Amino acid sequence: MTIIRANGLTFTYSGQLRPAIEEVHLSIEEGEFVLIAGPSGCGKTTLCRCLNGLIPHFYEGELKGDIFVTGLNVKDHSIRELARYVGMVFQNPENQLFALSVEKDVAFGLENLGLPRSEMMELIEWAMKAVGVYELRDKAPYELSGGQKQRVAIACVLAMKPKVLVLDEPTSSLDPFGARQVLEVVRKLNEELNMTVVLVEHRLDLAVKYATRAIVMNDGRIVLDGDPRDVLSSKEAISIGIDVPKVVKLYRALQEVGLTLSEVPIAAEEMVQLLQEVLKR
Amino acid sequence: MSFLDVLEGLRFKKASSPIHKLDPRVKFALALSLSTLALAFKELLALIALFTAHVPLILLGGVIRQWARMMKGASLFAFFIFLTNFLFIHFHPGYAALSPTFVLPISMALRFLTIVGAFSCFFLTTSPDDLGLALERHLVPFTKWLIERVPRLKGAIDPYGLCFAFIASVRFIPTMVEEATSIVDAQRARGLELDRGGLLKRIRGYVPILIPMVINALRRSDELAEAMESRAWGAVKERTSLYELRLKKGDAIVMALTALAFAIAVYVRISIPIPL
Repeated sequence: MTIIRANGLTFTYSGQLRPAIEEVHLSIEEGEFVLIAGPSGCGKTTLCRCLNGLIPHFYEGELKGDIFVTGLNVKDHSIRELARYVGMVFQNPENQLFALSVEKDVAFGLENLGLPRSEMMELIEWAMKAVGVYELRDKAPYELSGGQKQRVAIACVLAMKPKVLVLDEPTSSLDPFGARQVLEVVRKLNEELNMTVVLVEHRLDLAVKYATRAIVMNDGRIVLDGDPRDVLSSKEAISIGIDVPKVVKLYRALQEVGLTLSEVPIAAEEMVQLLQEVLKR
Repeated sequence: MSFLDVLEGLRFKKASSPIHKLDPRVKFALALSLSTLALAFKELLALIALFTAHVPLILLGGVIRQWARMMKGASLFAFFIFLTNFLFIHFHPGYAALSPTFVLPISMALRFLTIVGAFSCFFLTTSPDDLGLALERHLVPFTKWLIERVPRLKGAIDPYGLCFAFIASVRFIPTMVEEATSIVDAQRARGLELDRGGLLKRIRGYVPILIPMVINALRRSDELAEAMESRAWGAVKERTSLYELRLKKGDAIVMALTALAFAIAVYVRISIPIPL
């Protein structure tokens, strides 16, 4: 089932001359884990904002083309309606937590939906356990590490049982350990709950092994779209300035000296395995 | 001791004590009664009694250290109150006849300390979360009641928004303090001098601190709004709440005792003359 569909999506922020995204055609199936990469200012964040209605309802500007998420036309549905279907996690974990305890924060969205207390309790507990922050439920935001905060932010949107999880550079302010924990949680939600994931990420070294599909954007357009291995090992990816994982770089370097491995590796372990195969031959 | 140290005497810290467990409304009634009585009496004996009345609460709540800090900060003001009263009585002939020279000034200082102490106790043992709940619990029906009578106000007051603003402002205090510290450090590293020169120069020194803070705060409010919208803020008219304040047996007992003590005190004030 197609869960996200964009046709000729173009958006220009008011006061800007050039569109931030231009003629974006995109179709994402349910259960996909889509990684979006691209240089700063290429329109990744703008695309994310279109997915839960922040564009056109929160940010002013001119929107052309159509975007449907879970069958709903984003133009015709408010952000608060779409919140039940699309969970949005932002870059800065600090500014998405408003309450004085983790538990209250996770409850925030459900309180807004007017859910009865018993139902809320169940969902909150489930969401906190799913991202591994149940033990932190009584902590205040300032008592948490960056990685913990970001996982709480995920729990906050997860409690609303969305179909799609959109994460806009969720690890950019985290240390590698915190980043890995956050991405592991996202992978788990994708695999175990079949949740569709759209992840904007700069740390490709960490993120690419979780993705089932990679999209590279440049100048507001989608320039590459496909299997992460093919996308990242392509010449364009490097020329655009994507931070291609080191193993992929090594793969390309080996290719240049005449050694072509049977597959493009995206994790160090895979590279080791491929090299061992070659050595045996 | 700096100003921030005194504020420490108002900052809530999580703890479990009989006082912490009391309903915030009961605690507020308690603090309010004490303060009202402190204003109603000017006799030293009565004020000593009122001041000592709130000490057990401090001890039970286990907040004696923060409370002492607050008192230390307040004692400076209390001293000024004492001094002004003392000077007035001495140099203003009409006053001297009112009471013995030292007693009234001490009473007045004690009155101030009782009020500060009672509210310090309230803030030290009441979590802002509970405060927000109490606010929401009463502000929402009150707004409804108000709008029924003054239909013009419809849409002008958003009780949930007000409660959110209150909770969020408490929640972001530590974040802003951290931010301020790093801005001060950054500006100092660039040669900004904050503790040299005359008063005017010092005040001017804070401009490069305030500008980034204001800009950050504006940006934060934008991001907060975005995140709130994304989590369905305002989706239904009647927001529900994860927790609800419920008056328990203990709350009822404390409330009854407070009312009783208050009634007795009022009776004493009206009909029994106090010697000092």
